[in-house]
Amino acid sequence: MTTLTQRFPAAPSVSATDLVDELRASPPGGRLRVGDPRIVEFVTKFARKLLAPATARRFPELASLGFFLRKGEIAKALSTLDTSGHALRFPRGLVFHVPPANVDTIFVYSWALSALAGNHNVVRVSSRSAGAAEAVLDALNAALSEVDPSVADVVRATQRMVTYDRSDEVSGALSLAADLRVIWGGDGSVAALRKYPLAPHARDLTFPDRSSFAVASVAGWQRASEAERRAAAEGFYNDSYWFDQAACSSPRAVFWVGDEAGARAAGSEFRTLLAAVLETKQHVTEPAMAVQKRVSAYGAAVDGVVKEIAFQGNGLATLELADPAVLPREWLGAGTFANARVSTLSDLVPIVLRKDQTVSQFGFSAEELTAFAHELAGRGVDRIVPFGSALTFSAVWDGYDLLSEFSRLVTVQA
Amino acid sequence: MSVFTRSQADREALLLPELAALTSHHRANSEGYERILSSLGIAPDTAFASIADLPWLPVRMFKTHDLKSVPDSEVFKTLTSSGTTGAGASRIYLDKEAAGAQTKQLGATLQEVLGGERLPMLMVDTIGIIKNRRSFSARGAGVLGMANFGRKHTYVLDENDQPDVEAVKKFLAEYGDKPFLIFGFTFMVWQFLYEVARDHGLDLSNGILIHSGGWKKLIDRAVDNTEFRRRFKEDTGLTRIHNYYGMIEQIGTVFLEGPSGNSLYCPDFADVVIRNPETWEEQPVGEPGVIEVVSTLPRSYPGHVLLTEDLGVYNGIDDGDWPGKHFSVLGRLPKAEARGCSDTFSGAAA
Repeated sequence: MTTLTQRFPAAPSVSATDLVDELRASPPGGRLRVGDPRIVEFVTKFARKLLAPATARRFPELASLGFFLRKGEIAKALSTLDTSGHALRFPRGLVFHVPPANVDTIFVYSWALSALAGNHNVVRVSSRSAGAAEAVLDALNAALSEVDPSVADVVRATQRMVTYDRSDEVSGALSLAADLRVIWGGDGSVAALRKYPLAPHARDLTFPDRSSFAVASVAGWQRASEAERRAAAEGFYNDSYWFDQAACSSPRAVFWVGDEAGARAAGSEFRTLLAAVLETKQHVTEPAMAVQKRVSAYGAAVDGVVKEIAFQGNGLATLELADPAVLPREWLGAGTFANARVSTLSDLVPIVLRKDQTVSQFGFSAEELTAFAHELAGRGVDRIVPFGSALTFSAVWDGYDLLSEFSRLVTVQA
Repeated sequence: MSVFTRSQADREALLLPELAALTSHHRANSEGYERILSSLGIAPDTAFASIADLPWLPVRMFKTHDLKSVPDSEVFKTLTSSGTTGAGASRIYLDKEAAGAQTKQLGATLQEVLGGERLPMLMVDTIGIIKNRRSFSARGAGVLGMANFGRKHTYVLDENDQPDVEAVKKFLAEYGDKPFLIFGFTFMVWQFLYEVARDHGLDLSNGILIHSGGWKKLIDRAVDNTEFRRRFKEDTGLTRIHNYYGMIEQIGTVFLEGPSGNSLYCPDFADVVIRNPETWEEQPVGEPGVIEVVSTLPRSYPGHVLLTEDLGVYNGIDDGDWPGKHFSVLGRLPKAEARGCSDTFSGAAA
């Protein structure tokens, strides 16, 4: 009998059967509703802890999370659920979340939105979770002791974050009990979890492997001020280097859109600015990573995908594509960017795949980007964001409106 | 005919033109290699001022790509090995000439410490390691490659991987009073030969030990090279000990520990460059860096200048047992790990 370690609320180990039974029970003070004020109170208390200067300094990604969960932001997100006419919105029930092991904060976004939608949740936190995840669990447990007892009781009864070693029994029991299963962590995790059957009415919300690229307008770059160009390089640095360029939203290729001479000049200036950001941030590339980048870059040359390789120190490698239509989507090592020029955004349309998630952009107008999205017509790309926002989580993710996914509609006609 | 004769200046003068010609040869015959060099902007007529200026390939390239400079029809032997880093196996293609050259030069290198004739040989391994051709490991390849240099082979381990003390005693009774050869991987030599010889009071003083494979597994026993040599000398009488450093990607080239120990030397057809991992410039003596191995042997595949994933340091140049650079291996580079959205599913997610 495998037991689960209860990380939040901190409690003695429990069996999967008992955990499911506890989460199935009706909570004290009445069932949770969509946007339940008790959950809102708890989440905002927790958000304030994340925004505390000491925490925010140590883990900048937790500050973004805290910001996302402030009272005003939550109200804004919940207001999108307002129903009209005959439809009423209710929670789905019990949601089983399997977040990725190596991005420490995803599990919190996934959990918080589902809790705000009124669900009972069980979140599998990786035993490999690192500093930021530990800080999150500490903040959650601390928040629990600072809210009204009636709030604490309902949170304790309905929300669980657990760690357990690989176990068919536990994953199987939680899957079968769930009304919705949320699987992050890419194709491998999805395939692994799909082995466990769901109840007939339940379904999966999956976040498979994705890849992302950046587009920069040559004309936009030429129009931009010195300060705007520097800010672009800095934003791009955050987008790319925070998670060693391995986050699904981090750009792996950069397309300069415009004329050849302009693209060459703009690209070269951009890379000089980016190298300066690396310098300022005292970015360190471990020797093993530097070697990894060369293995990838040389390999792409052998494959005929790349015709020019340039290293600006160990931190920045630029791989000039032989053909913009053949871009590497796999991870090539932290700070390794395929680079190509196209004449217009339309040239990218045939290149885009369903797998492409985020397009980070610089220098385009809303009209140009909207036209591009319409031309793509859903063949791929879920979000287009300015440089610097690639990693900013949003309640609409991978094409899903998460709060909608986490709730269901009941229609009433007299 | 010793292959440990060239001073560093002679080595530069004699090897550089040969290596530059090899670079051209590989460019002309390996499309992949040509693509790498041309994408780096290295013109075909580039003149290289020194061995350290030659372009290097990361050794892992041979795990990810097939690189060879001979047509398929001339491939005589394909060596595969999965290194200790997991992730795929290296594939090294040898034609007849290259296969012959590597055996010959390995022999010439070892002759320096073994002399000209084949010696009775104690293998610190199990015969199973070469019997099971289905799962032919790097260890098996090493044992098999080395077996050629000895005769009357006796295996120290039985079929169940247990030390066969009687077999070792019998071998020593028969051959132990004249020079004999001992071969094995460092940690096995320590665990199965040193400890057995010490516990049974065996006399290994006429032995010549050739061993390789690194010290990682001996760290928890607090055994480094110095300790290894000292304990063998004190407890078994064995003093002729030669560690060597080599890899399948440069088969036939081994960097051999000199008689006074604790430093590895380059045979005349090879060289080593220790590089600063920040700037990739050559490090001075005493400054650790990433080891690049250089050899004129790889003609059938572009493996003549390879950046390893090992850290090392020059101990000196032209001031040791034999001429040229001599160095120590300090360990492996830690693995490059990335944080990302995708888990490589390894049982942790379910």
